[in-house]
Amino acid sequence: MKKIKELNLPGSVRYAEDHEWAKLGNGTVVVGISDYAQDQLGDITYVELPAVGDSFEQGDEFGTLESVKAVSELFMPVGGDIVAVNEDLGESPGLINEDPYVGGWIVEIQPSDLKELDALMDVDGYVEMLRGFE
Amino acid sequence: MNRTPLFDWHASQEAVMMEFHGWEMPLWYPSGAVAEHKAVVTHAGLFDTSHMSAITIEGPGAFNLLQECFTRDLLACTAGGKQPLRPGRSVYGAYLNEAGGVVDDSIVYQIDEQSYMSIVNAGMGESIRSHLISHSGENQVEVIDHTGKAAKIDLQGPSSAKILARVLENPVKVLENMKYFAFKGHFDDEDSHADTVLRDGTPILLSRTGYTGEFGFEILLKPDRLLSVWETIMDAGRDLGAIPCGLAARDSLRTGAVLPLSGQDIGSWPFVNHPWPYALPYIKDKSAFTKRFMGDEALRKNESVEYTYAVVGYDPRKVSVHDPAVVLDEQGLEIGVVLTSTADMAIGWSEGTIYSLTSPERPENFKPKGLMCGFVKVKSRLSPGQAVVLKDKKRKIKAMIVEDVRPNRTALRPMREML
Repeated sequence: MKKIKELNLPGSVRYAEDHEWAKLGNGTVVVGISDYAQDQLGDITYVELPAVGDSFEQGDEFGTLESVKAVSELFMPVGGDIVAVNEDLGESPGLINEDPYVGGWIVEIQPSDLKELDALMDVDGYVEMLRGFE
Repeated sequence: MNRTPLFDWHASQEAVMMEFHGWEMPLWYPSGAVAEHKAVVTHAGLFDTSHMSAITIEGPGAFNLLQECFTRDLLACTAGGKQPLRPGRSVYGAYLNEAGGVVDDSIVYQIDEQSYMSIVNAGMGESIRSHLISHSGENQVEVIDHTGKAAKIDLQGPSSAKILARVLENPVKVLENMKYFAFKGHFDDEDSHADTVLRDGTPILLSRTGYTGEFGFEILLKPDRLLSVWETIMDAGRDLGAIPCGLAARDSLRTGAVLPLSGQDIGSWPFVNHPWPYALPYIKDKSAFTKRFMGDEALRKNESVEYTYAVVGYDPRKVSVHDPAVVLDEQGLEIGVVLTSTADMAIGWSEGTIYSLTSPERPENFKPKGLMCGFVKVKSRLSPGQAVVLKDKKRKIKAMIVEDVRPNRTALRPMREML
């Protein structure tokens, strides 16, 4: 496993306790999983995605990641409607391992309440939480 | 926790480690379990299997003891059951208890007329040693557990012979015509059979066996030679696509090859009605055994009426056998439990047929997404092609009963095609 200092943890995204990241841009929120999460899971082999138009509350399960190790649920870092899903993950679920913040994005959300984004951790808070696991 | 002599090497490569039967072993390396699985199917992979135990069974009573305790008939187990085991040949089978349950599975190697070696699973050396001793009766035999005194490397995959040829002294002489389940040499340089050496002089026991379903070798050697030999083979194999592989790839490869994991797919229940009839000494029509052996009566009575089958899914999604996961029939009735559920990432369905990365007739631009595969133990007799549903706490997965999973495996390919 990577050590905390080896992790790629950009300061430009917010982090949820379940290791999803959320990034605001043009009024929508793009969501993926952190470098820490993909490293812990190992190779992602299959992604179960929601449908465009599905609505979820913050914290709802919206999909799953199948890894060589196990199946893991994905939780909404902010509530809202799914406006896009990363179709490339169907052919190449490994994008989440290779490029967790760009090519490995998972869904795009039209958020119902942007304040929920503020409640997520910034990179310092997330690193602090990860240190607690060591 | 036990560590093999390669522990520091695994750590230096930043392998993800896991505890496995008291041993701290690599689960995967940074290349990832999927790449490792595919490397063994298409090129080669190197596994540290030094956590497994080697025991020796020697003396005038060795043959009788194994004939009584091991499920293979040593008088009729090579050449398709027509010929006896002989020095330089090995055979896969199991040790059973009186109730017909599996104590462990093993490959038994005949070293000499009165000398055998048995490789058993991690942590099982002492158990099998005492199991054999307690049943030795009148047999004059010495059984020694060499756990920690013999290291093992599994070099697996179609490039294995080419890699080995680069590191062996006299490679042509050693490898030429070497058959599946044949072996040469000895890892103890004081043993009179230690005639197979690497270029650096290291004596090895070289066996054309493995547990991936792919062409390859198991290499036994002294633990103090392990690191040097491992690095030599890694260097020799790099340009031929060899990479180090961990236990995750080993598990998915063996499952795709329909090989059982002892304690999970075979265990305390009677060793019968399963995909491994070749591990029992059946006569041709399978109505009787060719010899008596411990547990045979329980198997003959066969009162358990449980059946173990291989299953395959439609994508890599699996169930968690720790939940535990159950098997449902087409009517939704619970008929059994899931023993193993993993994913073979080198295969995929195309128009009703499973193809592998190496299938000659695979569709153009075939990029397998992987298929769940595993074993189920059910209360009713099922047929290949029958649909079942595997269910854990989280979800249901559709699967099919099959006789085989990963096609075009290379284990049996003739040596001349692989050099």
